[in-house]
Amino acid sequence: MKRSSFILVPVLLWFTTCVGQVTTGTIVGKVTDAETGRAIVGANVVLRGTFIGSATNVRGEFRLTRVSLGTHGVVVSMMGYERTTVEGVTVRSAQPVRLEVKLRSAPIQAEQVIVTASRREQSLQEAPVSVAMVTAKMIVDRNNVTLDDALRYVPGVNLMQDQVNIRGSTGYSRGVGSRVLLLLDGVPYLTGDTGEINWETIPTHQVDRIEVVKGAGSALYGSSALGGVINVITRDAADSPELRLRFFSGLYDKPRYEEWDWSPHARFNSGAIVSYSNRVGPLTYLLSLSRTVDESYRQNDAYHRWSFYAKAKYDVSSFKNLTVSANYLRRTHGNFFWWRSLREATRPADPQLNGKVTSRRGNISLSYKELLSDRFFFTVKGIYFGNYWRDDSSGRVNNTSESHLFNLDIQATYTAAAGHILTGGVGGNFDRVSANLFGSHPGVGAAAYVQDEIGLTSQLKLTAGVRFDWQKVSALRATAQLDPKLGLVYLPDDATSVRASFGSGFRYPAIGELYIESSTNVSQVVVLPNVDLSVERSLSYELGVSRQFGKSVFADVAIFNNDFRNLIEPSVLIKRYRPYPTSPNEVEGPVIQFENVTKARIQGLEATVKVEWWKKYLSTDLGYTYTWPRDVNENTILKFRPRHIFYASTLIGYEYFRASTDFRYVSRIERIDDNLVRLAPIVHGEQRVPIKVLDLRLSYDLLALGFPLRVGFNVNNVFNYHYVELIGNLAPVRTFILSLDGIL
Amino acid sequence: MRIVGVVFLVFLFLSCEPGLTVPPEVEPGFGGIVFFEKGTWPPQDSLFNLWVFASQIYPLDSLKVFEGLFADPPRIYLYPAIDRNLPLFVDSTSYAFALPPANYLYVGVLQRFASEITVRSLRVVGLYGTPDNPPLPIPVVVSGSQFIDGIDIRVNFHKPPPQPF
Repeated sequence: MKRSSFILVPVLLWFTTCVGQVTTGTIVGKVTDAETGRAIVGANVVLRGTFIGSATNVRGEFRLTRVSLGTHGVVVSMMGYERTTVEGVTVRSAQPVRLEVKLRSAPIQAEQVIVTASRREQSLQEAPVSVAMVTAKMIVDRNNVTLDDALRYVPGVNLMQDQVNIRGSTGYSRGVGSRVLLLLDGVPYLTGDTGEINWETIPTHQVDRIEVVKGAGSALYGSSALGGVINVITRDAADSPELRLRFFSGLYDKPRYEEWDWSPHARFNSGAIVSYSNRVGPLTYLLSLSRTVDESYRQNDAYHRWSFYAKAKYDVSSFKNLTVSANYLRRTHGNFFWWRSLREATRPADPQLNGKVTSRRGNISLSYKELLSDRFFFTVKGIYFGNYWRDDSSGRVNNTSESHLFNLDIQATYTAAAGHILTGGVGGNFDRVSANLFGSHPGVGAAAYVQDEIGLTSQLKLTAGVRFDWQKVSALRATAQLDPKLGLVYLPDDATSVRASFGSGFRYPAIGELYIESSTNVSQVVVLPNVDLSVERSLSYELGVSRQFGKSVFADVAIFNNDFRNLIEPSVLIKRYRPYPTSPNEVEGPVIQFENVTKARIQGLEATVKVEWWKKYLSTDLGYTYTWPRDVNENTILKFRPRHIFYASTLIGYEYFRASTDFRYVSRIERIDDNLVRLAPIVHGEQRVPIKVLDLRLSYDLLALGFPLRVGFNVNNVFNYHYVELIGNLAPVRTFILSLDGIL
Repeated sequence: MRIVGVVFLVFLFLSCEPGLTVPPEVEPGFGGIVFFEKGTWPPQDSLFNLWVFASQIYPLDSLKVFEGLFADPPRIYLYPAIDRNLPLFVDSTSYAFALPPANYLYVGVLQRFASEITVRSLRVVGLYGTPDNPPLPIPVVVSGSQFIDGIDIRVNFHKPPPQPF
């Protein structure tokens, strides 16, 4: 009792001190477009030099609370507008101070702020590496149900069903052992058992933006950042009561061929997302519940999903805050692994016909930020990510896996004199896996990193950093890594940025890759463990230039070279093995085993152009990536990598009406794993074509009629083009989706 | 107007392309060529039967051979048929073995060299296997709607592979 009092009293005193003093006021206001006078929704409003901030609501209004008495600067930013600072805002009492801010439209790429490239806020132009961004608006416009769909139109990014691949880093692994590190609000977020990205546990409609950093990033983020880093940044709760509703219903069209029309009934996908957020004193909170049902265009591929998300931020003072968020997901999904044959491309192979996967996944994360002075702040971030799944076949449980992963990261950033910005931190992780597929194994790791950004001149900035990682899995020998990075940014004028970077990456084999042992029910191929797997590594070099031409054209070109060593790939082999552990005899047959097989070099070029026409009523985004992915060991092209990726988006917006198109071209995968196709077996698994998909979107904002609602209509895969992203898996047919979004 | 024209043509071009199409129906199975080593053919009176066999069972014993052949459905299949033979005294012959979808663990050429019908009158004279010495059998996985080509088998009557029974 004495001990708990000893802890509680100072904590309560601390909070009471922070909350109780009446030394704060409020700034309220409205942000509008300087030319049209229309309210700007989603603009960021921040009290300079503090963590106090807000986003404008559907009426363009904002409220900054707990502002200390005195004179402040208020910074207002929004993509597409010039960043504006309102100086001399004086708060004298609890009486709210009112501001009217008019934003002027800006060159299209100006003022994009990112946080992932250097672990701190910086403008996109200052980043020494290529970074792409997906905004919440893009996600809503495209009606993306999971975030992987939102990444399909990012230049240099290619998805093989839900497995993400940046500039050719990843081949075929069905997501296991991701070579792209996913961060959720800056903290690593890969599953503990298979080291893969689970997109479903990310609350898609609570995302503020996604930053995609291309190239190796282990010098800042550690394992798995071989090909790049994707940071999903969730939105903060609103400062005033806000109810957001989203309903959508989609209908799958019939495929072109009656052989693939397996169901006599129309197939639908639909969902509802309801979220509520508000502020109570120093606490803002957001609660969200979503339900999604997808009957799928394929047999035994339907899923039912419930998801709950909550986020709360407590403003301890203007200079420190505490954020807690949690997510829970429950899902049942048919087990469509690959088709029966191309003749029956919408039916699964027989062993998968009655299979289903049930999963429960959740996370709890905590983040504490404190600004100790104008020059120094630190953050403490921790996350727990739990995963449980099992697959059943005809009522019989086949495989189960349970994993618990903890990640902790403490980071400090110090702006020193003489143009140095120092960032450093320590981190740790603990992982426990218990599965009949992988056995029962713990994993533990620790890391330390430091980075210095040095302003050599007003136009030239050098970034240098290094990270040390140590990891031990189960009874295996511990391994250690040292990863350096170097970046250079030259800004010859306001419109041009030249960048060069070097970085290294590595990935520890996932527990799933080391220990998997299965005579899986979905294939006749047995999977064997391989505890001798080594760490895979990459080195990335990039040279890029971006330039703004006038106010309407922005272009970025980059050339890159990525070298990979010890790539871990699933190999299909003929091997002798015991069919079950106690079997007296060995048998011979095809087996899958993860092996360090490949040394690879991927070189390429990436170009993006954004153009705005006719007073911004029309905008066009083009992105082209050429990669030359070579297997250096075999002197051939790498398996499962496309050579050309091209995206084109157009948007026409007039008053409250918007029409847009997305076109995606991915060249035919030149080389696949023939053994996998032959021995798995995947009948007609070798069948593949270039991907050429056009999506169309229309929306009308009913705000014009006085309702805070938006009606959307999407047609995905307009021409009902049939293709595969993942071998033996027909991609979605033409789909019509009607959606309704409201903010009340 | 020019841009609109180009966009229209692109759309028109795209709308005509179906992407993947349904392949023609085929009977599942596998096929290839049986190569006979020159100068190793045995005399006519020891060639009572010569078949390509495909067994879902491996390893085999006397009991399993007969069970596999006469089970319903069978688990060991013979080509061209139990009462017919591959061509004799040729250098090579192609074959096309129609089979139900399954994992065939043991595939090769079987000779019946004596008149009695027992396992002791059978021997494997060719194997679809690894290039090792002795060779190990390579499984052939037959799935619905797929006929696998290239399952070639070499037969040397003087040097038969290890016998499974």
